[in-house]
Amino acid sequence: MLSRIESFLLNLAAIAVIGLGLLITTSVLLRATLNSGIPDTINMVRELMVAAIVLPLAATAAARANIVVEVLSERLSPLTQDWLVVLGSVVGLFALAPLIWAGWNEAVHTLESGSYFFGQLSLPKWPGRVIFLFGVAFCWLRLAIQVVGDIRTIRSGGRVLTGLPTHSPHEEV
Amino acid sequence: MDGTLIGLVAFGSVLFLLALRVPIAFALAAIATIGTFVIFAFRTGSFAPERAIRPTSSLVFSNSFDLIHSYDLSMIPLFVALGHIAYRADITTKIYHAARVWLAKVPGGVAMASVVGCGGFSAITGSSIACASTMGRICTPEMLSVGYDKRLATASVAAGGTLGSLIPPSVLFIIYGIFTETSISQLFLAGILPGLVSLLGFLLVIFIWVKRDPSAAPAFTGTITMADRGRAALESWPAVLLFVIIVGGIYGGIFTATEAAAVCVSAAILIGLVQRKLTLRAIWESLRETAIQTTSIFLIAAGAKIFVAFIALTGVAPDIVEAVTAAELSPVVLMLAIAAIYLLLGMFLDPIGIMVLTLPLMIPLIETYGFDLIWFGVVVIKLLEIGLITPPVGLNVFVIAGVVGREVPIDRIFAGIARFLALDVLVLILIMAVPALSLLIPYSM
Repeated sequence: MLSRIESFLLNLAAIAVIGLGLLITTSVLLRATLNSGIPDTINMVRELMVAAIVLPLAATAAARANIVVEVLSERLSPLTQDWLVVLGSVVGLFALAPLIWAGWNEAVHTLESGSYFFGQLSLPKWPGRVIFLFGVAFCWLRLAIQVVGDIRTIRSGGRVLTGLPTHSPHEEV
Repeated sequence: MDGTLIGLVAFGSVLFLLALRVPIAFALAAIATIGTFVIFAFRTGSFAPERAIRPTSSLVFSNSFDLIHSYDLSMIPLFVALGHIAYRADITTKIYHAARVWLAKVPGGVAMASVVGCGGFSAITGSSIACASTMGRICTPEMLSVGYDKRLATASVAAGGTLGSLIPPSVLFIIYGIFTETSISQLFLAGILPGLVSLLGFLLVIFIWVKRDPSAAPAFTGTITMADRGRAALESWPAVLLFVIIVGGIYGGIFTATEAAAVCVSAAILIGLVQRKLTLRAIWESLRETAIQTTSIFLIAAGAKIFVAFIALTGVAPDIVEAVTAAELSPVVLMLAIAAIYLLLGMFLDPIGIMVLTLPLMIPLIETYGFDLIWFGVVVIKLLEIGLITPPVGLNVFVIAGVVGREVPIDRIFAGIARFLALDVLVLILIMAVPALSLLIPYSM
């Protein structure tokens, strides 16, 4: 169930990415040909950016695609390495918690106040804030489930680090 | 509490967590959150945690949300998408195939074509490790199959892959631009000449290597006609077009870097569909991979942004600047010290991690000494490139080792890398000694 939601969110993020490209390209073409443009392109792109970046957070955590430094941990025993993976997720839970709290406050504030971006379309501010809150909170949930699952795997004698997905040719910077 | 002490303890704590395999983004954000909370809690002299909650959460939220909620930074997902789509549309590899045909008769021609291919790949994708990984899969097996020295076959691609960070577009330049608030367009343009000098230097290394030891690269015995050369050159037009859109558009003031990225993505999709190299499924997969990869990058950038804001609160950076100024280091000694720090960190950390950890302290120092931040950006990226092929970590070397498997041991690859590394150091000295090499193009806009 969780992985299906993650896949769905990843699809939404993919749509947001292509949306960014199409919106900016259309804006450039209109400027070049008709000396005109799409109103509030900048605000729309900024809102799409939130969807493109935040919605795949849980899928990224599930794929353990967060960038880590392995040079020292590789020298430790497999069991210790597995516990370090758990530690990484626990630190992630701690790091994301203030974002959820502040994100909730911000989302509630923008919804209640009905604040909007200055521009021709007067676009509301809440969608980006709500998407941000949802994406981060869902990632927190995924990490929490991962921590419980990893601890169970380790205690039952299994390995957490085996079978991790290998990086695709373009997965690194 | 002393802000400088908190700052230094925070740096130590981040390094400790990184050594414990904690994801870079989480380590930075967690330590910065704790540090910010402590500073705000002790602001009135006594410990008052209830006063720290709101400003801490506000700082954490605004720094991460504002980073993501950015029009300019939409160029990151767009350039990443461009790399994926151009690869699937067979655009990036055509440069290699063209170079392969044109350089067939030159001693070490396949290795040279690999480096040129890496340069072409870099001009579209902007990622060193993606470049080494993709080109490694194509070029290294081909070189090994025609009897090239294993060190040359692997090292040339590992070194060539580093061009991805210097030749525009470059994800590392974008991240540097975010943290130093310098023009990303100017950074892109500043990377062109140093990138080309590095590329030509790598070709020279291969030429000298094969001249001194002809057995390292058996001569090509087939026949290449002018028609073959013409056809190969023509087939690489999409890659040339995309590079012209990026560099020409930015230099000509027609586009911003963000607009260039969007136009190139649209153009690459169009070319791929028209040439029937791309399917809708391939585009979809490219976009999904882009989303995952971009999220990893932004997660680190957001963690770093929070960390930078925290470091600004501590006042540790001005203290370090004061200490260095008091030591009366000459600019040359300072730059040598900075280069040594980056090279040392490059042996153990990945490029993004190094940048986000060091820039909050380095930039105030660089500004105090009056150095140009665009030029310094090129120096930093070159240093990070060198770190990608420096033992014991050398990410690009491990990428190539992963491609060739047990056929070539890692120490053999590092043995081959030594010559390219020596050239890289020479180019670095040139970039440091002649700032015009980096600044000529951006400041002639």
